[in-house]
Amino acid sequence: MSNEALYQQRYDRIKKAINLELVDQVPVVYMGSAFAPRWHGMTMAEFCENPESSFQVNLATVKRLDVDGVNLAGGGRITPLLTSLWMARLGVPGRDLPADSLWQVREAEVMTTDDYDAIVNMGWSAFFGSYLPRVIDPQEFGMSMGWVMQNTPRIQQAYREAGYVIVCDAPANVNIPFEYLCGGRSMQKFFLDLYRIPDKVKAAMDVIQAEQIAAIKAAPPFGGIRGIWVGGWRSASALVAPRLWNKFVWPYIVEQVEALVSVGITPVLHWDQDWTRDLVRLQELPAKKCILNPDGMTDLRKFKELVGDRMAMMGDIPASLLAAGTPDDVYAYVKDQVALFEGRGLILCPGCDAPINTKPENMEAFVAAAREYGKVG
Amino acid sequence: MANELAMAMADLDEEKVQALVKAGLAGGVDPSALLNECREGMTLIGQRFETGEYYLSDLIMAGEIFKTAAADLAAQGGSSGPTKGKVVMGTVKGDIHDIGKDIVVTMLRGANYEVTDLGVDVPPAKFIEAVKETGAPVLGMSGLLTISFDPMKETVAALQAAGLRGRVKVMIGGGPVSEQVREYVGADALGVDAQAAVALAGQWLAA
Ligand code: B12
Repeated sequence: MSNEALYQQRYDRIKKAINLELVDQVPVVYMGSAFAPRWHGMTMAEFCENPESSFQVNLATVKRLDVDGVNLAGGGRITPLLTSLWMARLGVPGRDLPADSLWQVREAEVMTTDDYDAIVNMGWSAFFGSYLPRVIDPQEFGMSMGWVMQNTPRIQQAYREAGYVIVCDAPANVNIPFEYLCGGRSMQKFFLDLYRIPDKVKAAMDVIQAEQIAAIKAAPPFGGIRGIWVGGWRSASALVAPRLWNKFVWPYIVEQVEALVSVGITPVLHWDQDWTRDLVRLQELPAKKCILNPDGMTDLRKFKELVGDRMAMMGDIPASLLAAGTPDDVYAYVKDQVALFEGRGLILCPGCDAPINTKPENMEAFVAAAREYGKVG
Repeated sequence: MANELAMAMADLDEEKVQALVKAGLAGGVDPSALLNECREGMTLIGQRFETGEYYLSDLIMAGEIFKTAAADLAAQGGSSGPTKGKVVMGTVKGDIHDIGKDIVVTMLRGANYEVTDLGVDVPPAKFIEAVKETGAPVLGMSGLLTISFDPMKETVAALQAAGLRGRVKVMIGGGPVSEQVREYVGADALGVDAQAAVALAGQWLAA
């Protein structure tokens, strides 16, 4: 089969999974940032400094595993990207850290409570621009983001020519305000703000949200799956009390999801930690338009029971299983998962992101098990 | 029936707790009695967490209110008398996540355990040293990363090598820790949340 034919077959498989149609074979995709370079003997310093390396080593990993595709394509420097996500400084291997150690988010109270007002007064983009020098050299940041913009079409082309599908290939970037602010304030301080100065926080959130929604609505049309992460790391149900979650998390997610769906983008709810408490709320989102992308901590049986007829799941092989388990454990996990979903609405994928110390034999077992048990038709 | 201060604590009403502590002290109430009321509030918070009424953010807020009140009261000579026992806690080598560990420490202190908090990125030798120095019969290790499993295992091995394993119970916790991990590490127990840490300490230190 030609690579283009393979691409089409895999694309159909993933599309069908999203639509909750029966597939011939449960699709399996790769997701991991530090595992790919580690597996290929590339130092973390090289992976972090060279935007081309991160793309090449991810593609090499996808080819070596010969999966159907990838959650995120990679490419570009990861540390500026994480800075933009959490408004935090990062320790970079080879600069601030030993060359082959993992990059480190240096979470600290960089944003002050006065900055909430500054966001309201200046607007989000202007504030963000003025804030950047506190966490990264703005020139470095600009160059990194520029590289991504410029090279994304080439990266997408390369995956397609090799026959692989990128699930999250939409040309936009959004995040709920909670995540930005929580990173900038540091988690502990931010959580206290939610109790002590809720109105101030909410006013800033609303300004950020309005700009995000406008950006989503302006997203250019594009061909692929058009997935995009609507991530939740520190906004997980397990971390945030219901009355706060209902006010500071969920309304923003719903609004972003609806805006994305209205322009034909597939929201991928990349949710770490345990969201079981609020799974029932997923019934409020448009059916067959979103993907839940959990990390192994959310209860999938509950998910199936509550929204199994409305939403697909991409995940959720736990990081601890990939790092500390055996290939037999991985096999058993995949088998259970396939049985639970019965061939519908499942895209097998490492939960969150395969950790740096994933045992290669576990990653290989994951793919082999997916192929063995995933045959449906 | 819990009194007003304990209830204000349990309801996470920071201003009210501060006001009641201040008024109590001004009115000549024994700081130790006030401290015990705060602890009572922390016990209620633990119960609400267990029944699913409270979540982690509530524990973070509770910890903050308790820490401030306890510091103020200690400065006025408040104490709860003899503690229920000693616990050494820390986040293991290579790991700097401390939010969960801090909650565990605060809840243990709230329940009147004497906790030696070694902070984050704690190498095995430092755990051993603290266990020796304090004579604590319980060691708690926190780890949120998959790469934290090995330092946990090394620490248990170091306890063994130091001849301390027999008299020290080891509990581990933190996001990715599972029964599989407990076995790998060789710990005595795994605690899924801060309440579990308090329960384990209670079980081991009562014996
Ligand atoms: C906040 C956060 C950070 C902050 C930490 C700030 C701080 N001061 O702690 C920062 C930004 C620094 C950070 C950095 C990193 N993080 Co981080 N982080 C998180 C996050 C969002 C929340 C963790 C948290 O605080 N949870 C809340 C606390 C209260 O929960 P908890 O610790 O589990 O504690 C509870 C129980 O487990 C239990 N407990 C805890 N300890 C103990 C001990 C005992 C004895 C007992 C009985 C019970 C117990 O009681 C607690 C209360 O009930 C999680 C994702 C998530 N949503 O969970 C990722 C997460 C833990 N981080 C992760 C990663 C990968 C990292 C980094 C490596 C990322 C990077 N490359 O920079 C670095 C590593 C830094 C380092 N060397 O440690 C991964 C770990 C997965 C893995 N592969 O190993 C996670 C799961 C996110 C993900 N899915 O990718 N992180």
